[in-house]
Amino acid sequence: MGKKKCIAMLLAGGQGSRLNSLTKQLAKPAVPFGGKYRIIDFTLSNCTNSGIDTVGVLTQYQPLLLHSYIGIGSAWDLDRRDGGVTVLPPYSESSGVKWYEGTAHAIYQNINYIEQYDPDYVLILSGDHIYKMNYAKMLDYHIEKGADVTISVIEVPWSEASRFGIMNTNEQMEIIEFEEKPVHPKNNLASMGIYIFSWPLLREYLQIDNNNPHSSHDFGKDVIPLLLHEGKRLVAYPFKGYWKDVGTVKSLWEANMDLLNPECELNLFDHMWRIYSVNPNQPPQYIAAYASVVSSLVNEGCVIEGEVEHSVVFQGVHIQKGAVVKDCVVMPDATIGENVYMEKAIVPSALEIPAGTVIRPSMPEEIVLVTKEWLEQQRSETIEKG
Amino acid sequence: MKMMLGVIDATTYMEPLQNLAAHRSVAAVPFAGRYRLIDFVLSNMVNSGIESVAIFPKYQYRSLMDHLGSGKNWDLNRKRDGLFFFPSPDLPLPSSQIGAFQHFEQHIDYFLRSKQKYALICNSYTVCNIDYRLVLELHIASQCDITEVRYQGRSLEMFVLETSLLLDLIANRVQTGYNSIGDVVHNPFHSLNVCHYEHDGYVAVIDSVESYFHHSLQLLQPDVWKQLFIQSRPIYTKVKDEPPTQYTADAVVKNSMIANGCVIEGHVENCIVFRGVKIGKGAVVKNSVIMQKTQIGERCELEYVIIDKDAKVENDVKITGAEHRPFIIRKGTVQGALMNQ
Repeated sequence: MGKKKCIAMLLAGGQGSRLNSLTKQLAKPAVPFGGKYRIIDFTLSNCTNSGIDTVGVLTQYQPLLLHSYIGIGSAWDLDRRDGGVTVLPPYSESSGVKWYEGTAHAIYQNINYIEQYDPDYVLILSGDHIYKMNYAKMLDYHIEKGADVTISVIEVPWSEASRFGIMNTNEQMEIIEFEEKPVHPKNNLASMGIYIFSWPLLREYLQIDNNNPHSSHDFGKDVIPLLLHEGKRLVAYPFKGYWKDVGTVKSLWEANMDLLNPECELNLFDHMWRIYSVNPNQPPQYIAAYASVVSSLVNEGCVIEGEVEHSVVFQGVHIQKGAVVKDCVVMPDATIGENVYMEKAIVPSALEIPAGTVIRPSMPEEIVLVTKEWLEQQRSETIEKG
Repeated sequence: MKMMLGVIDATTYMEPLQNLAAHRSVAAVPFAGRYRLIDFVLSNMVNSGIESVAIFPKYQYRSLMDHLGSGKNWDLNRKRDGLFFFPSPDLPLPSSQIGAFQHFEQHIDYFLRSKQKYALICNSYTVCNIDYRLVLELHIASQCDITEVRYQGRSLEMFVLETSLLLDLIANRVQTGYNSIGDVVHNPFHSLNVCHYEHDGYVAVIDSVESYFHHSLQLLQPDVWKQLFIQSRPIYTKVKDEPPTQYTADAVVKNSMIANGCVIEGHVENCIVFRGVKIGKGAVVKNSVIMQKTQIGERCELEYVIIDKDAKVENDVKITGAEHRPFIIRKGTVQGALMNQ
């Protein structure tokens, strides 16, 4: 196999437990987003748009849908003769099955995969974030700075800085200290979980980390602090633009709503940096004579007979007569029955909301994640009252 | 079903459709918001289990080839069988009927090498959702030589016959005087047993601008599109990575079929809107067909128009066509406010 300058390793094994029932049967990177996509589409599209044609996708939690979705990578033009997408689930060896114990351990277990390409650099990515980024520029920066490791950082509001891994840097953007979720942050540059390593160095330190029985084998918690401690040259790469960790129901809803804001920096309509996905191939959407759709994103295969306002509607959704859908995210193939009223809610894939149901959060800042159980509970409460 | 070959005759030239087919073959005329005419017959073949499809194009087939590519979108990029493209040699075709034997003869090896016992020959411009397996069943059960698919007594130019009979007809065309499959079927003096299969369900034969426009707007009736877009037998097309369609706060959309990747800021009523169309603020578009990537400026008023792809309508343009004579804005042109009609 030919030598590659830089290959990507995409960590897609996360459970995303704070997304509750949305990730009960699928990994977080496979969660639907933006009316058409799955979260992982953004990272995979960034790779292909940045000219990175070799991507190892590390999976572990609920991988069935994710594996079949990625397939051979043709949706992202990553079905290549040399390289392309390779799905890398945990595997068994003579000593037994080794689950991925942490992000660094997952990469350690796939050293053989990486070695095939004899890369100079390895880009470590996470499949959990919504953003557009040219990794080629980050690699240029890494080389120009003569760094051992380059970590992409973004300015976050000071008030939120204690929720992130914060990089304290000097004027040359060299990282002098890394603090995970500091109570009193000294800086507001948060790590985006995107690392470029020079491969020989990464290989050496993965080995050291693996030999350390006290390590949790995590990049943020173990490997980066160790490299800092040993005086390696770690440099921060300041990223400007839209970036969102959609780790909670609320942040997933917010990121969907961001797409409806005309000022939003994440432009899905930019043909120079397309976000690719597996296209559902459904007929065009049909908007009935008595329907209304405003300030919304609607995908193909939908039939809209009700009112849709400020919402994101995925493929194959049917919104029936008299239904009002406001500030909602409606995932693929869901049906919203007649005269349903819903506000600030997420409807998961293929769920049917019975006619006349009223859904709205009990507290103004809450988001309702509608589930089968929730609907049944509502129904039994109505029967009790009736 | 590995028993049938699919043959699509895409050589047709139609003067009455010329305004939409000046730079593309009839088979590649855009229809129903995201499809080309050929998608319907091709998807029907694939959904009927046909795994080998030969396309015989003639005029202006660049856009058709670009659309079909390797056949991947129809699952026809196969190691065995799959999609074949047989352009016509530059001969004047002696027959206006579909299925010209002279054209087939140029690529006779395809028919000789194929193992399928039966062949299905279709035109490229009949829009419907049909299961050809039922046609073949009737053909076999009734021991017919040729079975013609009809709709309300009218030929849909879809014929099933044994591949060996097709080879005979091609080889003996000089002696028999039959130049095409249509010649054979429509000649009252032939000695073959010709049967008819009556298709019930939606059919649109697109053979003029008027029928194109009429059938396009008919699709806005839910009972019509439900007969064409059947979940178990989907119509496939070349996929584009367009985002979902965006409706702004000022958008008003009524009774319309809208494809992906559009930005709708104006008023759209009774329209078919293809992928990637932009409709500006304050524009009012009614009873029209807007093809892919066209941009309509602010405050335009358009009614009964067909706008071909990649066209640009500048701000404040007002155009009204007629229901039976829609105004056509050609592909890639700019329609300015001072150029009205």
